[in-house]
Amino acid sequence: MRVSFQWLSELAGIEDLTPQEAAQTLTMAGWTVEELRLIDLSQIRVGRIISQEPHPASKKPLWVHMVDLGDEQRQIVAGAANAVVGSLVPVALPGTTVPSGVKVRDANIAGFEARGMLCSQAELELSDEHDGIMLLDSGEPGQPLSAIVPSDAILEVEVTPNRPDCLCHLGLARELAAARGRRLKHDFMPLFTGGIEPPGTDLVSIAIEDPRFCRRYIGAVVSDIRVGPSPQWLQRRLRAVGVRPISNVVDITNYVALEYGQPLHAFDLDRLGARRIGVREAREGEHLLCLDGQDRQLGPDSFVITDGDQPVALAGLIGGAETAVQVGTTQILLEAANFEGIAVRGMSRRLKLRTEASVRLEKNISPELALAGARRAAGLLQEVCGAKVHTSWAEAYPRPQEPVPVRFRPERIDAILGLHVPLEEMEAILDRLGFQVRVETEGEWYVLPPVFRLDVTSVQDVAEEVGRIYGYDNVPATLPGRRRSSWRAATPSVERRLDPCRQALAGAGFDEVVTPALVAAEMLRRLGLDGRALRMVNPLSDDQDTLRTSLLPSLLKVAQLQQKHGRQASRLFEIGRAYLRSRGDSEEPEEQPDEPQLLGVLSTGHEGADAARKAFYELKGGLERAVNALAPARLRFERAEDRLYHPGRTARILSGREAIGCIGELHPTTSQAFGLPGRAVAAQLEIAPLLELDSTRKVKALPRYPAVTRDLAVVVPLDLEAATLAGAIRSKGGELLTDAAAFDDYRGSQVTEGRKSVAFALTFRSPERTLTDEEVDSRLEQIRATLSKRFEASFRD
Amino acid sequence: MSDFEQTAAEARSLIAQAPHAAELERLRIHYLGARGVLVPPDFSQLAPDERQAAGRAYNLAKRSLQESLAGRLDELRRRRLADLADSERIDVTLPGQPPRLGRLHVLTVVQREIETIMERMGYQVEIGPEVETDWYNFEALNLPRGHASRDMQETFFLNRSETLVLRTHTSPMQIRTMLKHGEPPIYAAMPGRVYRQEATDASHLAQFMQVEALAVDVGITVGDLKGTVQYFSQSLWDEERRVRFRPSYFPYTEPSFEFDVSCLVCGGRGCRSCGGDGWLEAGGCGMVHPAVLRNGNIDPERYSGFAWGFGIERIAMLKYGVEDLRLFYENDHRFLEQF
Ligand SMILES: [Zn+2]
Repeated sequence: MRVSFQWLSELAGIEDLTPQEAAQTLTMAGWTVEELRLIDLSQIRVGRIISQEPHPASKKPLWVHMVDLGDEQRQIVAGAANAVVGSLVPVALPGTTVPSGVKVRDANIAGFEARGMLCSQAELELSDEHDGIMLLDSGEPGQPLSAIVPSDAILEVEVTPNRPDCLCHLGLARELAAARGRRLKHDFMPLFTGGIEPPGTDLVSIAIEDPRFCRRYIGAVVSDIRVGPSPQWLQRRLRAVGVRPISNVVDITNYVALEYGQPLHAFDLDRLGARRIGVREAREGEHLLCLDGQDRQLGPDSFVITDGDQPVALAGLIGGAETAVQVGTTQILLEAANFEGIAVRGMSRRLKLRTEASVRLEKNISPELALAGARRAAGLLQEVCGAKVHTSWAEAYPRPQEPVPVRFRPERIDAILGLHVPLEEMEAILDRLGFQVRVETEGEWYVLPPVFRLDVTSVQDVAEEVGRIYGYDNVPATLPGRRRSSWRAATPSVERRLDPCRQALAGAGFDEVVTPALVAAEMLRRLGLDGRALRMVNPLSDDQDTLRTSLLPSLLKVAQLQQKHGRQASRLFEIGRAYLRSRGDSEEPEEQPDEPQLLGVLSTGHEGADAARKAFYELKGGLERAVNALAPARLRFERAEDRLYHPGRTARILSGREAIGCIGELHPTTSQAFGLPGRAVAAQLEIAPLLELDSTRKVKALPRYPAVTRDLAVVVPLDLEAATLAGAIRSKGGELLTDAAAFDDYRGSQVTEGRKSVAFALTFRSPERTLTDEEVDSRLEQIRATLSKRFEASFRD
Repeated sequence: MSDFEQTAAEARSLIAQAPHAAELERLRIHYLGARGVLVPPDFSQLAPDERQAAGRAYNLAKRSLQESLAGRLDELRRRRLADLADSERIDVTLPGQPPRLGRLHVLTVVQREIETIMERMGYQVEIGPEVETDWYNFEALNLPRGHASRDMQETFFLNRSETLVLRTHTSPMQIRTMLKHGEPPIYAAMPGRVYRQEATDASHLAQFMQVEALAVDVGITVGDLKGTVQYFSQSLWDEERRVRFRPSYFPYTEPSFEFDVSCLVCGGRGCRSCGGDGWLEAGGCGMVHPAVLRNGNIDPERYSGFAWGFGIERIAMLKYGVEDLRLFYENDHRFLEQF
């Protein structure tokens, strides 16, 4: 909310306060001042134009002025012609900086000295008007401009949605005064006197069809209007807060909204044919040409103000063009109404229209404000336009606001804040904010919030009022906790449990990445990963309209980016979630999805089949190491197929009997889809089964007797896998064979076509004695015999 | 001069010139080996009176050879050590060649640092779903449908009935944690991803990370909240950090605050980083609203609590001087390598 400091301090009745102090006070009372712009006009002087000549030489139209500044005359060149002889204008002399930030210097413009600047309203930050020089209607040459137009400061104040009562100068002035230890002089409810006959109720009638939507409607009739420009002070205040003056009647409705926070609207009474005001739901097919020139299609989800049955305004949003006040209007119906916030918010969102009225009404302002606003506007109409206001305003108020007292013992406030606030101080604070406090029997307090405060209903709310005005800086910092005889043992978070896994992968040369969960549906579809994808109803863009179902595309995108920025080979991993539509759900999901946590690993930039094969085993080894860091368990790998992966270089990863993921070289089309040169290997597996593994480690005693090792090179058909051979070797090797690890896989000229040689390192050891070569060799012979028989294996030396 | 002496003299001069240990070993074998040049005298061929002199001459020659071999070996060793500076000199200014190690992502590092401080304060770290129901994300937190406060958090919806949302904050974890733990005391920290339907730029992301902390116990006060936030901030930054509470509004806390920490750059005097007022916005907090406690099945007459939360990226930005939030999620290696 944009606030004029000058307006604010006048209402607050505080003169001895700088804008900076006011900003600081408001901020610490809960009204964060996001921006403070000073408009210091004391350095600008009033000048009178003595002469005005067109510049003879300039190509651009320029005018050379002689300006009387009281004690001297100066020649000043300007681009606008609107300051004529006799005009009073603001003059900035060389060396001054005008409020918009321009520093004025002596200049020579095409041969003419310019010893100052004639200022526009925009240059003085008095409005957005930058065409033409500002013309003053009073002042003496040489006077500081601030004697005519008071200096001001503009504060951009953040008003939280629970406090629509402070979307106005009066509300914030009350807060400022209270925080500075004073009570607002200004009474909330203005008096109104001097109404004329006939009574307004004879001129219009009001009937509300749906009292749930319209909480109050006041319609005051005002006669003898002369529509014209507003006086300077009023225009200036509106301009200061960014509202363009239109005409006195409209300006007054805007002014009161900015002062009291009550939206108002003025209808030209002569254009209301029926003079029967109603509020109802709009009907299908109805439309209204609005004040902003737009013709809006309406429907049953919108509410309209009607005259007779004819819509004349969108309730709580904007008036209709055909009943608007214009030049020549002599009689108006002044509307001060209150509508249900949720409905106004709904209309505002559906029609994509936010107005000064809707932003206030959607937050549920008090219906009591309607009367205050109407009275204030009536007073100003009399004062400013010389209009006459009729007595007896027509009104509908089907659900008068009920007082909501809060009862509590004042110690409760101390207990919430953690600080003792003296009772008299507490009472004074509440009084300054407009609360009524009554001490009842046994020390209980009866506190009645002011009518404009609908947000205070509990002792916690009252504690907040006391706390923020008393000052949270005064609350001592303490730590919670008390004596306990029971507690819960702390357990490490899932993320922390996964840290050894992360460390192991980093140690193996993989960089951790964190990638967005929102991805493009189209990408998932191309990769065939969209089966259980969840799409947003209201995405920001096509490239992040869906929750990812796999980490793989995210990792590939990172590799793509890194490649673009010069890294040829990326080694990446991520631990993150995928989001899979609940199995029972259709396209329109109803249930929360599965959010499995996954580990994804990717290694790119491998040239040729051999390099990729090596990379596969590196990645597999890294993965096994990472899993081993979590639990001393072994993963199993079985040949598998997956459309994203190379058909001959892919394995399913199993933990126990459960398939938990996939590892392999990526299919050429997969890496090509991301523009990656070379080959890539990747793996993805689920974390949850790993976290369930038994992570206890029991150390084995170190062996007391030496091991005997033998290498065994087994020549077998190409499609026989090492795991099968190892299984056979282990089962035949018996207890003495403590390890059988494949360390080489050779295909080439040394072995027959169609066969390969797999070399195993066998370790034999007994816990009880030193083995002899003879017994190891005989065991080895048995192994060879089995392999020959089962796999037609031959052996190399 | 005896033959022995002559052989020894010849050997000694060769030994003295031997360039390395291998040559010495060759000479030793040549002269002193089992079939070497220097052999004991054949006493059977000698007169008895010559035997003693011959034996002594042989021993003398043998010992002198052994001594000069040892001496030369020692000399060579000493010379080699003295020579190391020149013979094995390397250029120590050439770049190091580290083993190929990867790195943890900066957000992981910062999140863990935050969790560590929380855990030190006795908070249990909890995680929960990112696709939330309307009830957990809004209703249970005192944000009824149609309420204007919902505009504070632009929301992604996953179905047309708007019952499933991407959580807009970690606060639904307050409810989940209360329901899970039951009877207080509850001290929990809840990190995780959150989502806002907002256009992305250097200081806004549609998805980012928050940490929420919740304490529910007997007699929790605003002072306890202040102390906790201060303890945390000083642990995360340094002991000089001061914390300021500005009254604010969140529907799920009452009273509510924004908390600022004294500027890390200027220490509070005011500079460009803090916009001149000496304070940096750090997060939001407040006393858990009684309605929220009730939705978590906790009796607000017996217990009170506080909750506070902040963005993890924001902490990382301040800590490392990162000026564009998007860098955290792009994973450009030129960025990652700086941590
Ligand atoms: Zn600073």
